[in-house]
Amino acid sequence: MNNVKFRTFSMLVLVGIAILGMGFFTVRFVMFGEQWAGAPFNATAFQGGVLTAGSITDRNGIVLADMTDGRRTFAANGDIRRATLHAVGDRGGNIGTGALSLYAGELMGYNLITGSYSLSGAGRQLQLTIDAELSAVAHRALAGRRGAVMVSNYETGEILAMVSGPTFDPSDPPTSFDPAQGVFMNRGIQSAFSPGSTYKIVTAAAAIENISDIWSRIFVCNGVLVTGQGDVTCPGTHGSINLIQAMAVSCNVAFGELALELGGRLLDSYARSFGLSESTRIGGMSGVNTASGNFDIAPSNTAALAWSGIGQSTNTVAPASMLRFVGAIANRGEAVELHYLKRTGLSGIMPTSTARLLERNTARQLEEVIEIQNRGNFPGLEIYAKTGTAQVGGGLDPHAWFAGYIRNEGFPLAFVVVVENGGGGAAVAAPIANTVLQAAISG
Amino acid sequence: MDTIRDILTQMNEAMAGFDGDILPFVSMLIRFLLPILGIIIIGRCARSLFREKSESEIWGQLRLPNGVIVDLNFWENAIGRARKSDVLLEFPTISRNHAALIRDDKSNWRIYDVESKCGVIVNGKKLDSDAGLPIKSGDAIELGSVKMIFTAADNTDEYEQAVYRTRPGRFYKQATTLVFLTQFQILLGLQLSLAMGEEMTSALPISFLLLIALTWGAYILTRTLKRVAFEVETMGFFLSTIGLSVVASSAPTALMQQIMFIILGVCSFFVMGWFLRDLDRVKKFRRPIAILGPVLLLATLVLGTRAFGAVRWIHIGGMSVQPSEFVKIALVFAGAATLERLFKRRNLIAFIALIGLCMGLLAIMTDFGSALIFFVAYMVIAYLRSGDFATMFLSIAGAGFAGLVALASRPHIAGRFASWGNAWNYVDTAGGYQQTRAMAAAASGGLIGVGAGNGWFHRIFAADSDLVFAMVTEELGLIIALTAMSAILVFAVFAARSSGSARSSFYVIAACATTAMLVFQMLLNVLGSMDILPFTGVTFPFVSRGGTSLLASWAMLAFIKAADTRQNASFAVKTPKRPIYAGGGNMVYATGGNDVFDYNQQYEGGGRR
Repeated sequence: MNNVKFRTFSMLVLVGIAILGMGFFTVRFVMFGEQWAGAPFNATAFQGGVLTAGSITDRNGIVLADMTDGRRTFAANGDIRRATLHAVGDRGGNIGTGALSLYAGELMGYNLITGSYSLSGAGRQLQLTIDAELSAVAHRALAGRRGAVMVSNYETGEILAMVSGPTFDPSDPPTSFDPAQGVFMNRGIQSAFSPGSTYKIVTAAAAIENISDIWSRIFVCNGVLVTGQGDVTCPGTHGSINLIQAMAVSCNVAFGELALELGGRLLDSYARSFGLSESTRIGGMSGVNTASGNFDIAPSNTAALAWSGIGQSTNTVAPASMLRFVGAIANRGEAVELHYLKRTGLSGIMPTSTARLLERNTARQLEEVIEIQNRGNFPGLEIYAKTGTAQVGGGLDPHAWFAGYIRNEGFPLAFVVVVENGGGGAAVAAPIANTVLQAAISG
Repeated sequence: MDTIRDILTQMNEAMAGFDGDILPFVSMLIRFLLPILGIIIIGRCARSLFREKSESEIWGQLRLPNGVIVDLNFWENAIGRARKSDVLLEFPTISRNHAALIRDDKSNWRIYDVESKCGVIVNGKKLDSDAGLPIKSGDAIELGSVKMIFTAADNTDEYEQAVYRTRPGRFYKQATTLVFLTQFQILLGLQLSLAMGEEMTSALPISFLLLIALTWGAYILTRTLKRVAFEVETMGFFLSTIGLSVVASSAPTALMQQIMFIILGVCSFFVMGWFLRDLDRVKKFRRPIAILGPVLLLATLVLGTRAFGAVRWIHIGGMSVQPSEFVKIALVFAGAATLERLFKRRNLIAFIALIGLCMGLLAIMTDFGSALIFFVAYMVIAYLRSGDFATMFLSIAGAGFAGLVALASRPHIAGRFASWGNAWNYVDTAGGYQQTRAMAAAASGGLIGVGAGNGWFHRIFAADSDLVFAMVTEELGLIIALTAMSAILVFAVFAARSSGSARSSFYVIAACATTAMLVFQMLLNVLGSMDILPFTGVTFPFVSRGGTSLLASWAMLAFIKAADTRQNASFAVKTPKRPIYAGGGNMVYATGGNDVFDYNQQYEGGGRR
């Protein structure tokens, strides 16, 4: 009997495993309960997939979503409704990045003790970091074109504008949606585009850290870079130029040469560590992932590598990831986690998480490289940015990019503008950025 | 802090919107009260069960040549040189597992030769049969030339020992715990009636009143049988109450059926307990019951209907029966054995063959949830019987291989594994539909639940059976869901603990195997529905709707009662009759603990230690 008695300790092992399982479940319940309860099939807080409680305002208190007579309503101004659609969401719960879906748990007044069944049935008011007026300006500037405009504060990580086109009025949604248009998609976060010349910032960063004589290096551009397996053409013939001049004129020859010199593996590791070829997180634990980008490492084809180093080939980047990257340059190499839910209470006190993407010194030197000297098109803005005109082939117009930041007193703003098949970066994307930034600094 | 501030704000808003309707506030109050009562009930039961150290009993004594008296603490005692022997004789001529001294239900003792080299001699006569030899007080036993005198406890000894043992329920009055349980039952019924409003039928109050009557009826019956412990039953009733609430919310028309099954379950519990009282009777029926297991499974395979990918049910006259639930009981009978049989390898092999047959049949029926539970029961039984880790590892490897074959041959099982752990990526497909709803519903309940009858999860398929944990968490909250889990764990810990003073290894193995199955089944139900383990579709014991499962769970509870040897505790354990003559008694009570006849004490400079 002693034998058997001793062996019954094995029962305690089983009980121990059960307690571990219980503990693991309880921890998950506490951590993710709000997200789980935020699923649109939680009929305690949703009716037919529509959240029945809670309201959303912008950073200045403008109401973006509310409940009126048991019905979900949106901002009073039509432009604001369309401009904030992808940050707020719609009645059908179609917008994955919309706060109505993403923060449904919070909105319904979920708390750990009483769950999603609130005593008063009222739900909570959420404040976004989004500036509704600024978003409306961006929406008008985008003028119905497909693309994305995002503005963030690079010191705090707060997103002030997140406009995606095409969009629709959530108060009066169209009866049917053309799936090819991807209207539910937030192009700033959920799409990745060929980045074009904006990628030259990446190549420049790698060159600054890895080529010792980079500041005395003179590139000779005669309009074409001949590689073993094909030519890389340059839109201009730039003659003898240094790195800063090469960036200013966006010389393909100079950056193609640098890409070949640095090699695919090294550039790939940079793209990865900058969060451009990977998915990055927006809004922390309860937030969303950006679309994963891609960097073409081109192991065997030297021409492809040169193209890859100037943002062509099969490279893609999500606009929000580019925003995070340029914001990190502005913030002396440190990327602050982007978010659009205003952090209040306990999470407001805790510092927002950051990641160091660049050495402090590299960031400072990179700033010199991307400074825009000719500010004629950007009156009153101390602007550091890069245009991109990403060839997409198939007879389509290129994607127009403009990404960077300004150093105006009191406005630590980073921005990214992408117009899908919009044309040239300087001609199409830069004016949109200027309009939005002017509106931002005039308050 | 944010959470508490939030609730205060909500209360404030709710007060501001007060329009004279007090019922929502009553419902709210009940939501907070139920978890508190749940903690009190399970807490009191657990503390009452674990309050006292398990005290050993003395059923006989052996007087060794050096005058040392060794107590026989069990009905079944192993004598030998092995470290864990009950009577440890460190003597070279004694084999590791030499002999077994076994007392039966009627105080008759027998001695068995287990694995001795030199044999067993009783009163000068060599024991030569497997069936053992009866012995009585005063008999001389000779094992490997070590002579000892055997003394059996007589009626006076047993009675005195029973009187001096601690009575359970002295520190935690069982009736007080029951009063808390009754409050829990009344409040739950009240909350359900508030939630149902106009739709409430008389079935709700009738079924809850029947349950309360049954609870107290069972308690009064226990007291009438002069037994005092009621913790195990109380926890069973607590779980059944939650189950009744689940049915009231998900299928109000089935309330009467559910309460009938609870009544039947409690009856089967008492019948089973009565059956287990008599070890001789149990030994007699052990084999036929064990064979019933595969027979039942075969019957299911032949007569059963295939539903939702598995053949589990037999339909008899409008009732559906899930025989695999009863097979669990048969399995316990097959696996548990008295000590003298434990050392015989062929007994274990017969058991392994039986369980292999059962699991094979379950695989054909594609009831992998039950197969897993059977496997855990097998592991526990095999380990308790043999203590052999090599066998265990071989079994795990074998089961793993069988599992892979099952995965490869059944695409819907493989599908479950594909979605396992990331159900949220399969929100609207078969792989994750149920689990994501279960998680959303459970989270929706928070710690105190949305209130019985206020949930939506009951509309999901299998919400009141395979996914019942989510439904309990949604409506009654995480705290009650965790207390329900704890109740099952308390059963298991108590079963393991009572081995210290158990009389026969049959009861220990049976109680441990039973509770191991209950624990594992609960884990599969909880963690499967919450996407932590693959979803296998098994019931939560006592709580899930389903007559067979409920019946079997209550019947299995009797195994725990049969291992409860606290004084006057359990109706499934006999107590000694008051002796006819006062005084006397055969036992010699030593002051120290068990002494060991040590070879070194007798023979100076002995070679081995």
